[in-house]
Amino acid sequence: MIREIQFTLNGEVVALTCDPLKRLLDVLREDFGLTGTKEACGEGECGACSVLKDGKIITTCMVPMGAVHGCEIMTIEGLRETQRGRVIIEAFADGGAVQCGFCIPGMVIAAESLLEEHPEPTEEQIRLGISGNLCRCTGYDLIVESIRLAAQRGKGLW
Amino acid sequence: MVETCYIPKDLAEALRVRKETGAKPIAGGTDLMVVHRRGTGIVPRFPWPVMIITQLQELKGIHEEDGKISIYSGSTCHEIEASELVPYQVRKAASLMGAQSLRNLATIGGNVCNASPKGDLPVPLIMLDARVELISATGVRQLLLDDFITGPKTTALQDDELLSRIIIPKPEQPFTYLWYRKIGTRRANAISKLSMCAAVTLDLSGNIIDFRSANGASGPKVARSRSVEELIIGTSVDTLPDILPRVLDAYDGILSPHAMPQYRRSSTRRMLAYFLTEVGKRPAEQIIQ
Amino acid sequence: MAKKPIGTPLRRTDAIAKASGTEKYLSDMQFDDMLYARMVRSGISRGTIQDISLPPLPDGYYFITYKDIPEGGKNELVMIKSDYRCFAEQDVRYIGETIGLLVGPNRSELADLVDKISITYNEETPAITIEEGLACTGGPFVGTDNLFCDFTINKGDIEDVFTRADRIIEDEIITGWQEHVHLETNAALAQPSGDSYIIYASAQCPFYVRKSIAGLLGLSYEQVIVRQTTTGGAFGGKEHFPDVLAGPLLVAASVVKRPVQLVFDRHEDGAYSVKRHPSRTIFKTALAADGTILGMDIDVVYNAGGYESCSYVVLQRGVFHATGVYNIGVSRVRGRAVATNTFPSDAFRGFGAPQTLFAIETHMCHLANELGVDPLELKKQYFLKQGDSTVTNGHIFEKVVLSEMLNQVKTASDYDRKIKEYTLGSGKGIGIAFYNHGGAFTGNGEQMIIKAKARLHKRADGIVEILVGSTEMGQGLQTAFTKIVADTLEIGTDRIVYPNPDTSVVADSGPTVASRSTMIVGKILERAALEMKNRWNEDTDFSTEAQYEHPEGHPWDQNTFQGDAYIAYGWGACVVEVSVDPLTYEVQTTGIWSSHDIGVPIDELVVQGQINGGIIQSLGYAAMEKLDYHPKKGFKQIGLSDYIIPTSMDFPSQQWDLVHNPYPYGPSGAKGMGELVFNGASAAFVDAVSRAIDCEIREIPIPPETITELLV
Repeated sequence: MIREIQFTLNGEVVALTCDPLKRLLDVLREDFGLTGTKEACGEGECGACSVLKDGKIITTCMVPMGAVHGCEIMTIEGLRETQRGRVIIEAFADGGAVQCGFCIPGMVIAAESLLEEHPEPTEEQIRLGISGNLCRCTGYDLIVESIRLAAQRGKGLW
Repeated sequence: MVETCYIPKDLAEALRVRKETGAKPIAGGTDLMVVHRRGTGIVPRFPWPVMIITQLQELKGIHEEDGKISIYSGSTCHEIEASELVPYQVRKAASLMGAQSLRNLATIGGNVCNASPKGDLPVPLIMLDARVELISATGVRQLLLDDFITGPKTTALQDDELLSRIIIPKPEQPFTYLWYRKIGTRRANAISKLSMCAAVTLDLSGNIIDFRSANGASGPKVARSRSVEELIIGTSVDTLPDILPRVLDAYDGILSPHAMPQYRRSSTRRMLAYFLTEVGKRPAEQIIQ
Repeated sequence: MAKKPIGTPLRRTDAIAKASGTEKYLSDMQFDDMLYARMVRSGISRGTIQDISLPPLPDGYYFITYKDIPEGGKNELVMIKSDYRCFAEQDVRYIGETIGLLVGPNRSELADLVDKISITYNEETPAITIEEGLACTGGPFVGTDNLFCDFTINKGDIEDVFTRADRIIEDEIITGWQEHVHLETNAALAQPSGDSYIIYASAQCPFYVRKSIAGLLGLSYEQVIVRQTTTGGAFGGKEHFPDVLAGPLLVAASVVKRPVQLVFDRHEDGAYSVKRHPSRTIFKTALAADGTILGMDIDVVYNAGGYESCSYVVLQRGVFHATGVYNIGVSRVRGRAVATNTFPSDAFRGFGAPQTLFAIETHMCHLANELGVDPLELKKQYFLKQGDSTVTNGHIFEKVVLSEMLNQVKTASDYDRKIKEYTLGSGKGIGIAFYNHGGAFTGNGEQMIIKAKARLHKRADGIVEILVGSTEMGQGLQTAFTKIVADTLEIGTDRIVYPNPDTSVVADSGPTVASRSTMIVGKILERAALEMKNRWNEDTDFSTEAQYEHPEGHPWDQNTFQGDAYIAYGWGACVVEVSVDPLTYEVQTTGIWSSHDIGVPIDELVVQGQINGGIIQSLGYAAMEKLDYHPKKGFKQIGLSDYIIPTSMDFPSQQWDLVHNPYPYGPSGAKGMGELVFNGASAAFVDAVSRAIDCEIREIPIPPETITELLV
């Protein structure tokens, strides 16, 4: 069964003809070559596959393309072109958040999502905001610090 | 293997497809897309036809109607958590399901129809005597959620029906005290190992005019017993300590003997004892922590 | 202008690319003509293969097995031993042992074909637990006693001590399996290239990979070019294990003559990849009438699984750390690695030390309880000092700063007040642990086996390339080496590049393991850089190379395990504070404080990242990472929804500190730290919980169900 699915991807309207049950994660990585979004668990537990769908953070490994029709999707490739995205990325780089890096694009998406809701977040809000993103390298403290740094540097953006 | 996937444009079409093919609905996909996954780069495969209903506007919304709260089945956990119309314990249960990403996708319809014994939302809903409304191309019916879920992962949903909404009646009098605890596998992003909610209503003289308690992840279905609850109803809050042991024993009896016996039983016992003891102190706050 | 101390943080060279999503990991890489592979594995714990029934394979699909190993090739993966087979032949030793590789162009088709493969076996009775392995349940399948190794080290005469002892305290401490959960799963690809092959692998040790698999096809090492791809975490799980992917892939590539890619699904990583060795440590401690510890007799057993791999070396480290940071006058330590029909256990951060360090710390607390004294007071009495002799009759050469670290964590955590205020069983507890980690390879490994080299190349454009086999896996090595070289050459860090190693280009600096890279390879690089500095103004581009030089005066006998097992140690102290929910027995950690001696920090952010990460991983090991094993089904908790690792909400922000104690043979005075930071938090956590519930704990992990059982 195939359908044409039309949606906005990183600001651009695109259309794809595919099986509507195909996972959004596979479409992004393979059909569009956007490999910044990662697969690390395949069951929505780790957050490495996160993108923004209509401004809300979701895990793409469990989303069928049929549910994406008409939506706005922003991946790390889109977020990094925005001023907010650049502030977060720079803060992560300066703040020591990045070790192996595999969880980080998902963390950047989570940071954007949480700063959108709480532009001056407390530590508790930050920890809750990234609680769906697993990291095995950092123990989280420097990611939390980096998000705080991003909030400071990007005052007024969120 | 049948691989048909429908994407109906409105509820009428969805009901027609459901009647003609029995296609199973996928809303958030957070259970079904994971259970049926086959690996990276491979389309999930279902052994029956499915239809994607994420887009149906008629299944969205949270409203108050005739003193009851209607949560339409396509409402996400995030929407439920954020809505001030929804009772506290249902919001709390929604807020603790999975992580933010899951809460933006997972729907109440999916959680209820999946009927996992570890499901979070049915616990407070059943405690609140919630009803489900089921619609088909030929009609509408309602039943108690506790009757709709018949066992682990089984419901009374007919092959031509869709779950339209959950209806939560308002209690005759607002609850005086509320309790909700979920013990997860960790502090966030956790599957429930045990969840429990309870509520008590006192009159001005301190008589208990309503008491309810429900347990999740404690057996094949949400555990709740009106007859156990009635052991307390009618008594005074001051006599609670005397009847507490009997109540705790009776409540223990409704938990499944197979469900991790020691840990769940003893935690439940301690939580219920704590809640009722705190109630006995008649604190000012409604939510017992 | 004053030179900034080397510890001043430098933005990591790979940070922007990783955070932006432009950095490519193996599964992000496209290769023309690439085929996919799926592993076909044993479904039983022990027995022989009776029949493999394949569905008809469409054109372009292959099933690769040991039969595809050519004349002149050997069916073995050469690790430290060569007992690990690339493919099972007739007998199988554990659920998940590689039987074959199904290769083809379409992944959905591959998945269907794999499901249709039917294998019948003659099943035999497996040995799963340490006890079953030692008892040779089902008959031994390794030698006559299921022991990969069995050795004992003596310091003094323990039997004599026992005759003089006032009493002997017995204790048994158990630790479980732990899964690495590197966020990037295991992944590799083999590509034919003329009469050579290129292996791309998410791996810690590219030179180990080529050494392991070249013999499968009878190739020379130079014909197997291994390129490390940007690695999304490893922790020891990609030290030897990449061989298990690369070997079959190499054979497959030789048959299909196209690139073949294998990326594990998370459940495959969970069910079918190496884990930390479960352990059982039994103490018999001799006490004098006044409570003095006269000696310890320690029996250490590690569950090695179906193949030896590096179990002997893991066990050595466990044995050499068996008395922890304590000067125990007389000791006997026996170590055994027992074979069982479970997935082979392998390297994991700490490499055998976490198990015995957890055991000795916990045992010291139990001794104190037995003696009716405060555990901290007891522990302090036995702190090692510079010059003291070790469990292998070697010596501690550096100044030991345990007291300074103790003061730091005590003050920071307000330990003295809390230890009185949080009475036993009150539901609140504070715990403390001390630990160390011998730097680099045990004994004479560096100079006899590894003989590390490092090479620098100055290009015509003035850019300096760091050409070593050491790999970045997130620990910050690319940054650390860049700084060391920049510091020595006195050039900007932007003039240095350090590509992911390719074995055909770089010098073999040894494996990226054992916390050796900064300390050993960093020092060699420093020397290569010094030579380059002296030659800086030479006209053409040139390279300098240096080799490892072993400091004099450290005798070691690898046969008797006597002498200086390690020439330097990292040291640590950790305090953990908890609150146990009286209703649910869930444990909330309310504070974490640590202090470490790592010589000198090469980069403070890198150092903090390692401390934070190592401590959280260690707390996960103690608090939540339960991994059960079923003889018919294998590992139980194999996905991330049931194998529970900490989220950002499970533990609070840490307070950390360092004691500067420069090490003369390390670059800028640095010692290793990557594993040290794992070795103590678990014991501190268990100490805190046992006080909170007033109950001794002898096994980890301790999820709330286990606490309930203890209190019944």
